[in-house]
Amino acid sequence: MFARALRAEFLKLRHSPIWLAFGILALLPAVIGTVNYAYNIAILQNQWYDLWSQHTLFSCYFSLPALIGVYCSYLWHLEHADHNWIGVLTAPIPSIYVYLAKLFVSGVLMALTQVWVGLLFVASGWLAGLSSPLPAELPVWLLVGAAGGIIISAVQLCLSLVIRSFAAPVGLALIGGIAGLVAMAKGYGVWLAYALLALGMSANNAQGGLQCSPGAFAASCVIYLAICIAFAGVWLARRDIVTG
Amino acid sequence: MRRAIYSEIQKARRTKTWLAVSVLLAVQIAWAAWGTGNMNADDLRQGWLLCLYQFPLLNSIMMPVIIAVIASRLGEVEHKGHALKQLETMMPAWRLFDAKFLCGSAYVLVAIILQCLVVVVIGCTRGFEGPPPLALLGSYLGSTLAVSLTLLLLEQTLSLLFNNQAISLAVGLIGGFAGFFALYLPESIHKFIPWSYYGLLMQVRMNWNRATHVTRFYTLPLDWSSLTVVLVVFGAAYIAGHVVFGRKEV
Repeated sequence: MFARALRAEFLKLRHSPIWLAFGILALLPAVIGTVNYAYNIAILQNQWYDLWSQHTLFSCYFSLPALIGVYCSYLWHLEHADHNWIGVLTAPIPSIYVYLAKLFVSGVLMALTQVWVGLLFVASGWLAGLSSPLPAELPVWLLVGAAGGIIISAVQLCLSLVIRSFAAPVGLALIGGIAGLVAMAKGYGVWLAYALLALGMSANNAQGGLQCSPGAFAASCVIYLAICIAFAGVWLARRDIVTG
Repeated sequence: MRRAIYSEIQKARRTKTWLAVSVLLAVQIAWAAWGTGNMNADDLRQGWLLCLYQFPLLNSIMMPVIIAVIASRLGEVEHKGHALKQLETMMPAWRLFDAKFLCGSAYVLVAIILQCLVVVVIGCTRGFEGPPPLALLGSYLGSTLAVSLTLLLLEQTLSLLFNNQAISLAVGLIGGFAGFFALYLPESIHKFIPWSYYGLLMQVRMNWNRATHVTRFYTLPLDWSSLTVVLVVFGAAYIAGHVVFGRKEV
């Protein structure tokens, strides 16, 4: 049953315009980060690590949270259109499967985004003329960052489930990203879902590794995930639908 | 026209568009309160300039998204209700376009006036040196309004043209980020990005001394050539919006 729900979600993604946002919203911070790195190359001596800091400074707090917001709003927008909720909720599957299937799809999109971010980082380094070998931590940054991104997706999917507008949850995602910047600066990153992406990607602290213990990061992810799934389950089961 | 505007106000009820504007202001208040928390005598001397430096920067990243949200809320109500074909039998398309633009402009205008009030209140409560710089605040209000209304026109046209609000929102996000990130690049580049004009029209600039870590703010005269470009783009976007929306097949 879950496989069918998943298949339906992937079908809904066909011909979607989110690939435009996917391509450009990750490309912009990479370009600016690389240009900024090239301008300040005299004081940035740590090659790939400094380039990573420049890339993540722009992407983790601004563009990637907003991009995840676009993914999640898009994933729910067909349900909110016309009278589609009636069809969705009469499908012979538990209603929470709809949320879980969307969470899985957003996880796949997040993984693809991280691959794209990684490719852009490597290409930027070559263009900037970096001669040292690639940092061994790169796959870890991307993978742990993807975990943080999936938590933001879980929260955004709840927001886009509740708010029927496409745009409002994306605005909240942007504000969440900025709040993540403040939380990271104050040392409270692990407590805020929107900071987990930056925390996981070791943004601005590439050589220092994760800024909290791996256990605290994992616990925060699991707690947020559990709360979001429980919330979506209750909302889908108890709330009457609004159509049209 | 009055009826068209009245019907827009009716449609805007319960859409919670004010929430988007309130959240923008809440973030800016929090940011300004945080940034002006522990100020010494030298900081207080530059307090007004600090606020008028930070607000346009925050605007350049947040306003494009808030404007995209406002335009999207005004446009998607017609798409969801399949109302355009009915509305256009009762009024010409340009009147509907104008009514929506005026309605959206009201949100933007109120947001910018409240921003100015926030600067004055923070300055007075923190004890910034000197009276509020009314001339700088006035030109901040005017230039921010000119850029915001131009972006609102672009976003509104996209929101009305496409059923799928992902397109107008993606354009708003990409433009906003391009405009913000371009502020780190030479000025010749961001002159070509409409979303960059929040930064271009800033009258307060910062000089940071790398050796002493001392920050000095200074003012520049208003960049009239950039403001003229904004007004020309506004006029072109208004005409293009009318033509494109008028020709849209409903």
